Amino acid sequence: MMRNDPIKHVFIWPAVLVVLAISIFPLIYSLTTSFLSYRLIPPIPPRVVWLGNYVTLLQEPRFWNALFTTTLIALIAVGLQYAIGFGVALALNARVPGERLFRVALLLPMLLAPVAVALVARMIFNPTMGPLNQFLAKFGLANLPFLTNGHWALACIIAVEVWQWTPFIILMMLAGLQTLPEDVYEAAELENASAWQQFWGITFPMMLPISAAVVFIRLIESYKIMDTVFVMTGGGPGVDTETLTLFAYQEGFKKFNLGYTSALSFLFLIAITIIGVTYLALLRPHLEKRR
Amino acid sequence: MSGQGLTGLSPWSRRLVALGVLAWCLITVFPLYWVVVTAFKTPPGVVGGPTYIPFVDFTPTLQPFIDLYQGIRGEFFHTFLNSTIVGLSAAAIATTIGAMAAYALVRFEFKVRLGAGLMFFLLALGGYLLFNATLGLTRPQALLLAFPIALIAAIVANRLPLPGPILGNEDILFWFVSQRMFPPIVTAFALYLLYSEIGRLGFQLIDSFVGLTLCYVAFSLPIVVWLMRDFFEAIPIEVEEAAMVDNVPSWRIFIGIVVPMSMNGLLATFMITLAFVWNEFLFALFLTNSRWQTLPILVAGQNSQRGDEWWAISAAALVAIVPMMIMAGLLSRMMRSGLLLGAIK
Repeated sequence: MMRNDPIKHVFIWPAVLVVLAISIFPLIYSLTTSFLSYRLIPPIPPRVVWLGNYVTLLQEPRFWNALFTTTLIALIAVGLQYAIGFGVALALNARVPGERLFRVALLLPMLLAPVAVALVARMIFNPTMGPLNQFLAKFGLANLPFLTNGHWALACIIAVEVWQWTPFIILMMLAGLQTLPEDVYEAAELENASAWQQFWGITFPMMLPISAAVVFIRLIESYKIMDTVFVMTGGGPGVDTETLTLFAYQEGFKKFNLGYTSALSFLFLIAITIIGVTYLALLRPHLEKRR
Repeated sequence: MSGQGLTGLSPWSRRLVALGVLAWCLITVFPLYWVVVTAFKTPPGVVGGPTYIPFVDFTPTLQPFIDLYQGIRGEFFHTFLNSTIVGLSAAAIATTIGAMAAYALVRFEFKVRLGAGLMFFLLALGGYLLFNATLGLTRPQALLLAFPIALIAAIVANRLPLPGPILGNEDILFWFVSQRMFPPIVTAFALYLLYSEIGRLGFQLIDSFVGLTLCYVAFSLPIVVWLMRDFFEAIPIEVEEAAMVDNVPSWRIFIGIVVPMSMNGLLATFMITLAFVWNEFLFALFLTNSRWQTLPILVAGQNSQRGDEWWAISAAALVAIVPMMIMAGLLSRMMRSGLLLGAIK
């Protein structure tokens, strides 16, 4: 039952006002700035260039590189997170021995500051003094260029992302698994369905809506990746691991090229929206068929 | 709820699965163990190659922490306080007003015309351009003026029979949550410029408690509203209806009945928000310099300042990590199966 009481405005307005103020102000501000040629250093008075910034950006290979790098990190990292996370959640849900011990430890990484995690990762990936190097040296793979070679650095960043955010998938999938009705499995048991058949025939389809939501959240969040890269490689070597947010930060905060950065952040917003809408459009038929 | 999905497996495959989980667990725990151990190492214990077990491999020392406390590696104590103050107040404010909004969305009916919403945006944009370009006001002045005008006009317009669809509670909720999709760099950069222009008018927001907290509150609200709505929906409405029969006003129903009944959810939301604010990097990077610097910024700075002084880096990372470890312990106790369930539906 919905009540209708004037006091509802007192309840909802504080939150709406704060979010409006912090989201609309910057939106209008950067939208208008993105049509200007506007630098703080050296100070040039703003000049209207309309879509000039956007055109420059779209012709800038560094922008496409950053977009590609970010997409690569997001897709691979989220894919791995989902595969590992779903697997671990299934195992935990099946009451694997020692399951209670695992729970706290498994959830820890997602609550830790990405900056601190990246610092620890730098130590572990150190090519001469790190423990990973010592471990791999036993297999004859000493002194790999973990953070100084573009491909390796990308792989390391993805590894850290997977390490930190798989717990989120485990948590959500575990919560989802616990809502599945038991009788379906009992029926499958009577039919002598194998564990493999049960998974693909029952568990996976029933978990699809939750999976879609969880992957969506992680995908969007992964596109914002900045702190991990900032500490681990700083975008280097060269610009091999530069993500969109880092690129925008370099342009805006180091060069104070305001119009350009605003245009960049708007392109970022458009890219995220396109990705989000495409993802939802691709998944919608699958989700509705199951219901 | 036993053995779903694994019932058909032989004992051997069960052992294999357990082994896999154990392997993942080791991967999860090892870096944490490493940072704890490294924080107690002396310089020789680091430079001589990886060492793992205290007292056997190396002699532990408290020196890194003493250095930290004495401020040799930056104002750690001060920054820790900053993080705590900003984190606690932003989480408290966000949880309070977010819970209120969530309650309103669950129990009251709202109708917003799409036309009024669009009008708000266009008026704010147009008003800003008008005030800034033609009347020669500074940008923040123009924004601050255009915002209330657009808001009032939109509220009035909402009462008029405008054509176009009418948005309900679900749409308002979606609007809240969709704010999360926004790349923070868009906001952070614009907010930095806006804050510094407001600063030039004499009201300092950059590197201030108010500026940072306000921004964190706004960015936590979507999560708070989303989580709290599910907790409130789980509360049986009969209790509230009984109170309404006795003519108890709505705000007393909220504070006296609803809040106590959803204390667990409020606490969990508060902690999740606190963790988010505590770990946040990008906004703090843009909006603080020295006085209100938070831990992530200081910790990230350790990297460039001290190349291979791992003992110091580890101790710094630990300072940022340990409070959240304690919280993870508390949170996992509360997260009995059902707690986050509603959130994902």
